[in-house]
Amino acid sequence: MRKWGATAACVVTVAIAGAMAAGTAGASWFNKGQPVPDWGMQAYKTHTPDYVKDASAVILFDEYVETVDASGRATEREREAIRILKPQGRGNTCEVSYDETEKVNYFRAWTIAPDEKTYQAQDTDFTEEGDTNVPIMLSTRKYRIAHPPAADVGATIICESEEQMEPYLQEKNWQIQIGIPIVFQALEVDLPPGRTLVDSWHRQDPVKPVQSGPSVWRWEIKDEPALELRDIPSAPGRGALEARMTVQWGSAAVSGKDKQWQAIGEWVTQLEAGRPDPSPEITARVQQLTAGAPDYFTKLQRITESIQKDIRYFIVMRGIGGLQANHAADIFRNRYGDCKDKATLLISMLKAAGIQAVYVPVDDHRGVVDPDNPSLLGNHMIAAIEIPADANDPRLQAVVKGNDGKRWLIFDPTNEHTPVGNLPSYEQGSWGILAAGPASQVIQLPVLPPADNGTVQSGAFTLAADGTLTGDVDASHSGPDAADVRLILKYTDEKERREYWETEIAHDLPGVALKSFQFVQAPALDKPLEFKYQFTAGQYAHTAGPLLLVRPRVVGSFALPFDNKPRTLPIDLGATGDWKDSYDIALPAGYVVDDAPDPVDVDVEFASYHSKVASKGNMLHYEREYVVKQVQIPAEKADQFRKLEGAILMDEKGTAVLKKQ
Amino acid sequence: MRFRIYVAVSLAGCLALPLCLRAQFQEPTKEELQMTSDPKAPGAAAVYLYREEKTDDNLHYHSYYERIKVLTEKGKEAATIRIPYEHGVFHVTDIQGRTIHPDGTVVPLTAKPSDLMDVKTKDQQYNSMVFTLPSVEEGSILEYRLQIRYDDKWISSPYWEVQRKYFVHKAHYFFEPSRFADNLLYAYNLPEGAKLIKDSTGRFSYDAIDVPAVADEPWMPPLNSIIYRIEFYYENFHDGQQFWTEEGKNWAKTAEHFSTPGKAIKEAVAGLVAPGDTDEVKARKLYDAVQKLDNTDFTREKSASERKQEKIKQIKNAEDVWVQKSGSSDDMALLYVALARAAGLDAVPMEVVDRNRAIFDSSFLQLRQLDDYIAVVKIGGKDVFLDPGQKMCTFGILHWKHTLAGGLRPAPKGAILAVTPGNTYVQNQVQRVADLTLAPDGSVTGILRFVMGGQEALRWRQTAIRNDDDEVKKRFNEWVRGQVPDGVQVDFDHFLALGDYNSNLIGNMKVSGNLGTATGKRVFLPGQFFESHGKHPFVAEDKREIAVDVHYPERLADDVTYRLPDGFSVESSPQKATIPWPSNAQLIVASKADKNTVEIGRALAYNFTLLEAKDYASLHDFYQKVAASDQQPVVLLRAPAKATGN
Repeated sequence: MRKWGATAACVVTVAIAGAMAAGTAGASWFNKGQPVPDWGMQAYKTHTPDYVKDASAVILFDEYVETVDASGRATEREREAIRILKPQGRGNTCEVSYDETEKVNYFRAWTIAPDEKTYQAQDTDFTEEGDTNVPIMLSTRKYRIAHPPAADVGATIICESEEQMEPYLQEKNWQIQIGIPIVFQALEVDLPPGRTLVDSWHRQDPVKPVQSGPSVWRWEIKDEPALELRDIPSAPGRGALEARMTVQWGSAAVSGKDKQWQAIGEWVTQLEAGRPDPSPEITARVQQLTAGAPDYFTKLQRITESIQKDIRYFIVMRGIGGLQANHAADIFRNRYGDCKDKATLLISMLKAAGIQAVYVPVDDHRGVVDPDNPSLLGNHMIAAIEIPADANDPRLQAVVKGNDGKRWLIFDPTNEHTPVGNLPSYEQGSWGILAAGPASQVIQLPVLPPADNGTVQSGAFTLAADGTLTGDVDASHSGPDAADVRLILKYTDEKERREYWETEIAHDLPGVALKSFQFVQAPALDKPLEFKYQFTAGQYAHTAGPLLLVRPRVVGSFALPFDNKPRTLPIDLGATGDWKDSYDIALPAGYVVDDAPDPVDVDVEFASYHSKVASKGNMLHYEREYVVKQVQIPAEKADQFRKLEGAILMDEKGTAVLKKQ
Repeated sequence: MRFRIYVAVSLAGCLALPLCLRAQFQEPTKEELQMTSDPKAPGAAAVYLYREEKTDDNLHYHSYYERIKVLTEKGKEAATIRIPYEHGVFHVTDIQGRTIHPDGTVVPLTAKPSDLMDVKTKDQQYNSMVFTLPSVEEGSILEYRLQIRYDDKWISSPYWEVQRKYFVHKAHYFFEPSRFADNLLYAYNLPEGAKLIKDSTGRFSYDAIDVPAVADEPWMPPLNSIIYRIEFYYENFHDGQQFWTEEGKNWAKTAEHFSTPGKAIKEAVAGLVAPGDTDEVKARKLYDAVQKLDNTDFTREKSASERKQEKIKQIKNAEDVWVQKSGSSDDMALLYVALARAAGLDAVPMEVVDRNRAIFDSSFLQLRQLDDYIAVVKIGGKDVFLDPGQKMCTFGILHWKHTLAGGLRPAPKGAILAVTPGNTYVQNQVQRVADLTLAPDGSVTGILRFVMGGQEALRWRQTAIRNDDDEVKKRFNEWVRGQVPDGVQVDFDHFLALGDYNSNLIGNMKVSGNLGTATGKRVFLPGQFFESHGKHPFVAEDKREIAVDVHYPERLADDVTYRLPDGFSVESSPQKATIPWPSNAQLIVASKADKNTVEIGRALAYNFTLLEAKDYASLHDFYQKVAASDQQPVVLLRAPAKATGN
C-alpha cells in the first residue's frame, strides 16, 4: 500500500506498488469484529533484524497477490505488517488509493501492541482524503487511510485489503525498495489458464519466481534495505534509485525487451487514437500560424510557441483520464490542459500542418524510466516530431534517431519556455516511449551540448573607499536557463519579482539595495533573455587595518553541494551548459591590488572550471567559465566531483587585498 | 478534555470564499476590456473588478458573484475556482461562468463542475466544487456566479473576507439574518472610516472600494487576524460586556469543575510535597510531577475505539487525568492547577489564544477563539505564568505561542479578560562557541558547543519527544550545518541535559573541512564563523506593509577561537563595534588576537516581539548594519617560505 510519490509534474500516472481501488465507502469494508488473521500473527512473530536499527519503522511482511480475470483485469490483495520502531515511525500506516474505475472490496487493520494486546481498527479509525492539494489539478483519486489504534513504538500494524484495479492496465509495478527496510516481501500473480507473463527489474538483481501452478507465479525477496537519501548531496531522484520490478500480462507479455516496449508503445498509440484529430478550428488556426512560413523550423516554431503561450497548464485526472488525453478540439476550445493534452494539441496542430508527431510518455525525473524495465511507469507526456530528411536547421538539437532510421525532434510542450529544438535539462538523458504504433520503441532523450544552455554575465562596478560597491550587472540567459527565468517571471508579479531578486542577490551581497532591474524578453523563445540590474551594497569591501578586502566574484554561484563521505550513488549535475562571469571593479582612488587569489584551472571529464583575477591600473578584473558536459556521472567519479566543487567553492570565496599607495 | 462552545448551526468557517447572484452577467466596459495594467495595483497579476456576496438566511442561501480581470500570465490561475463546503449540509448550485476576451468575444463555461471530496470521516465530509473557466488569456475578464444552499433546518451566517488575494475595485456585501435567531453579533476589522450598514429591518450591507490585496511578507502576525473581514454569528447575548460576563462565568465554572482537587489529587499531593516546602518548591515539585505524565499531544491520543476496548473512561476532571497518568496539554494544565490548589497554592487556570494561529480579539464574542490552557500560580505575591501543558517547558516561562496572548482567567464573579506576559531576551539565550584549529593548508578541525535556554531549548526538547535520539541529532546537525561556512562539515557528538528542562540544553559537535581562502601572502577566515551565510531577516526588503512578529525576543552570543599554525600571524580581525537600536536591539562585536590565536565575540540581542510597520525602517537599517558587520574577515599573514639551497 505504498504510494508512489505524488507529483504535480503532470498527468500520466501509473501507480506503483499498492495503488488500490475502492468504490463508495460502505459499512462493511472494514469488517468489524474480526481477529488478527493467522498470517498477521505469523508476521508479528518476525524478529526485528539488527540491520534495521536506524529505521523509524520496518515492514516485516508485505505480500501482493494479483488475481487476473479473463479480461486481464486484476484484483489485488495486499497483506502488510509494519512494526513501529521510533516515535517518528508512527506515520507509517496503511492506505489504499482508488479512482473512479477501481473498487475497494475490503480494507482491515489491526494493531498488536508490544504487550501483545490486539486491537482492530473501527470505522472511526479510517479517514478518506481526496487528491485536492494541488491547486492546478482536478483529480478524482482518493485515499483511504487507516489510523490503527495503539500505534505506539513497538506496536505492529497489520493491514489487509483487496481492491479491483483499473480495467485497462495489465501490468503491475512492484516497488521493492522504499524509505524503510522490508524484511520479507512477495508478489504473486495468478493468471487465467493459458496466459503468460514477463517480468523485468530496475536496480535489483532479478529473482526467479516459484511457479505453484500452471499459471501462478510467486517472487519473494528478503531483507531489502531502505533507500536513505537524506544526507546525500546531488543525488538523482528517489524514483530513479529505488528498486522495483514490473510484471506484464497483457499485450506486453512478450519475449524481449524491445518487443515489450513496442507493445507498450502500441497500447499508448491505441489509447490516444483519434484524440489529436484536428477540428476545423484547429486547422484554421494552423493555417493562420503557418501562412508564409519559409521553412520547416519556422512552422514548428510558430505552432509550438502558440501552444506554449496560449494553453494554460491545468491537470485533469479522472479515471482513465489520468492516462488518456482529452480531444484536441476540446483542449483548443478551453485553452487549458495537462501535459498529455498539450502533447495532443501539438500533435493535432502539426498534423494539420502536414507534420507527423507522436506521443512520448516519460518521467520528469531522470532515471525513472529504465530501458531494462519496460512499463508504463512515468508521470509526464511529451512529443516526438518527425524531421524530414531535408530539414537540417542547426536549431534542431534535441534529436534522436529511431531504430528505423527516422529522425525525431523531442519537444516538451508543457515546458512553456524551452524553445523547440531544445529540451528541458531535467529531461535530458532520460528514457521515454516513442509511441509510434508498430514502430514504437524506447528511446533515450538526448543530452545537449553545453552551448545550448547557459548564462553570460558581466558587471561593471565602482568600489568606494568606505567599502560601498555600486554597479550594473547584465546577464544573458539562453536555453533551459532562460526558460527557468521566464518561468519565474510568469509566476510572479512585480512585487514578488523584486523581492525574489533582492533575496537572491542578497545571498552574495548582504544588505544590497536593488536600485533598478529590467528583463528584456524577446518574443521568440530561442532568443536569449536579458536581465539587467543596478545595485548598491554597503560595506561590500572590509577594512582590515590599512587594507581593504574585496571579493572579486561579486554575484552568482556555481557550487553544487558535496561532501567527503564514500559515494555509492550516481551524482546528478543538473544540466549541461556553459556559464561565464566577467566583472570589473574600479578601485577607490589611491588603492592598488596588493594580493589576489591564484587562478583556478580544473578540467575533468565531465566539466571544467577556469577563473582568474587580474589588475590593471585602478581596475580589478575577475572572469570565470564553468562548462558542464554531462548531466549525471557515476559514483566512481566522486573524487573528481569533489575536486571540482571544492575548487569552485574556494574560488567563489576568494579575496583580493587592496592597499593604499 | 474539551469544553469549547460551538454554535452548531454556524458554518461560516467553511464558507471562506466568493458569493452572489444577479439576474444577468454584467457587460464589460470598453475600458475594462482594454485594460492591460492597473495603476491602483501596479504589477498585479489580476484584480477584482467587482465582487458580491449575499446571504439570505431566511431563504437559506449564500450567493457569490465575481468579475476578475486577468492582467498577466500568472493571473490566469484565477480561472480555476474552488468552492469548499460541508457535504450533506450545503449544496453548490447554479454555477454559471464565462470568459470575455479583450476583443469582447465571450466563451461560456460549458464543462461540468467537479464535486471532489477533500476529507471524509465517519461523521463528516468536506468537498470542493471545482471548475475552470475556459479560454483564459492575458486581458480576459473572468466572470462567474453560484449559490450555496442549505436546508431549512440550518441557519448560516456569513464570513466576509473583504481583503482578498487580488486588489478589489468594488465589492458589495449583503446579509439578511434569520428571523428565527434572536441575537446576531459580528466582529470586524475594516479600514478606517469604513461602515457596515444595518437598515431598519435588521439587514446588513457593506460596500468596499479599492481594497488592497492581502500582503504576503515574512514574519507576519497570523494573517487571519489582520486581514479586513467581517464575521457574523448568532449568539445568546446582546453585547460584549454581557457575553464575557455570562460566558466567562460558564467558562470559569467548567474550568473550576475540572480543576477542583478531589480525593485522589489530595492524596497524590501529600506524597509529592513536604509540609515545610516553600510555595515555589511546591510549585516546582508539582510541575515536575505533571511533566512526567503522558501528554498525548506529544505522543498519541488514544482513539475512541481504543479507549472503548481498553475500558478507559473519558476524562472529565483532573482526577481522571491523574489516575490515567495521561491526557492532553489542556488536561495537564488544569491538572496542575488542581494539584497546586490541593497543595495550598493560589492557582488559577487561564485559557489563551495560540498566538501562532491568531491574535485574541475581545470584540469577537466567541470562546472558540481560545486555544490552550496555561496555569497562573501566585508565588511570593506575584503571578507566575506556567505552561505545564507544554512538555519540557522550563518552569517559569511560557511557550512563545502563549506569550502576549489574550484570554480568560477566573475572577471573583466569573472570569476576566487578561493577557499573558511576554518573554524577555534574558529568558531566551543561545550561545554558540567554536574552538577551531587551522592547518597550514587551510583545513580546519575543532569543536562547536551550542548552549540554549528558553524557546530554542524547548523546541529541541519537544522535537526529542516526537522523535528518537538519532533523528534529533540528525536534525540538530542539519540546523547547525546551515549556520557554519560552506565547506565545513559538522558531526554531532552529544547533547547534555536534553531531558532536563530546567537546565540549559547543550549540543556538542565536531567540525572539519576547509575554511580559509588564500592568496599568495594571506589566508582569510570568516570573522563571524556562524554568520558567514548572511541569512539575516529584514535585510533584503526595504519596505513593509504589515507589522513584524518575531515570536519572541532572544540573545545570541558567539565566541569563536581560531588557533593558528606556526608561520601564520594575524594581520587583521573584526573591529570592535557596537551597533545600537535603542530600546529594541544591539549588536556588540569584539576581537582579540595574540601570536597563535584569534578570539572573536559577537552578541546580538533583540528585545521586541511585535513591531509596527511604521518602525520597519529602523529594523531594516539595524539589520543592514548587522549584515555588513558580520562580513568582516580575519586576515592572516603567511610567513614567506624559507629560501633553500646554499
